[in-house]
Amino acid sequence: MSALDEVLARAHRLVGRWEDEDCGTVTVKDFCRYAAALNDADYIRRAREQDAAGAPVDAPALFLAATMSWEDGPPEGELRPDGLAARESPCTEGLPVRQVHGGQSVRLLRAPVAGSRVTASRAVISAERKQGRSGPFVLLGLATRFTTADGTELTAVDETIVVQEALDPAGAA
Amino acid sequence: MNTPVAGDSCPLQRYTHSTVQLFRFSAVSWNSHRIHYDSGFAASEGFPDVVVQSTLHGETLTRYALAWAGPNSRLETVSWRNRTTAVAGEPLTWTATVRAVEGARVSLDVAVVKADGTPCVTGSVELALV
Repeated sequence: MSALDEVLARAHRLVGRWEDEDCGTVTVKDFCRYAAALNDADYIRRAREQDAAGAPVDAPALFLAATMSWEDGPPEGELRPDGLAARESPCTEGLPVRQVHGGQSVRLLRAPVAGSRVTASRAVISAERKQGRSGPFVLLGLATRFTTADGTELTAVDETIVVQEALDPAGAA
Repeated sequence: MNTPVAGDSCPLQRYTHSTVQLFRFSAVSWNSHRIHYDSGFAASEGFPDVVVQSTLHGETLTRYALAWAGPNSRLETVSWRNRTTAVAGEPLTWTATVRAVEGARVSLDVAVVKADGTPCVTGSVELALV
């Protein structure tokens, strides 16, 4: 069985199995650091003024969608050779493959407000073998739904991950 | 912004992402995939330098659209497909065309293109004018 066959088999076993992750309570500092990485000084000034005035502070629009993981870890020794954590790399743990994002669709329903506790619910929703210009690949479809503690939906993300055989199989797994 | 009409082209926006920005965006989004901050590892996967994150492209698609639409606009949806990778320091251009205007909702076809015109990402942004 090739590495891509194994990815496909693992994915098919996971399709439709939703898992929840507690993202914790999002803060103004989280939002401002995210904005700083985007060189958005206006957001930081406005958010800090709102916070000082006791007004609610909305997150940058794609803050939830762009954050890859809400886990505390793992420590470096538990990362895959490509730097990804096992949970961020569904279906590929230990296999000689490489992966990149295929694309993403983000629907914003309500902005998360600083002080809210957020849950991310995730599932693999599809897995297909494809043939591209640079060879065969597996296209994984992933869905994430972010909600508040009272069940209000904040952001819906649907994304695809392209998984290909490693260029250097000996060093990739 | 004048009242948008389907077929309008938005002014082009030219920019680059620095290696520092890619590192900071990986850090703040807790994305430890080495292709984004380790040029040696990126080369081992066939990339000429550290790779711009897909979600950073999504931010770019969105932020220039909101800047074009003005302070009374709000993002409703953004979707994009990654066509080819972009790397740190590479000159990139944001392009957008108004696809539809329905009441207070504006849809844009957006893209990030390389200097030779090759699209890195293509997609759509839907904004509400509030």
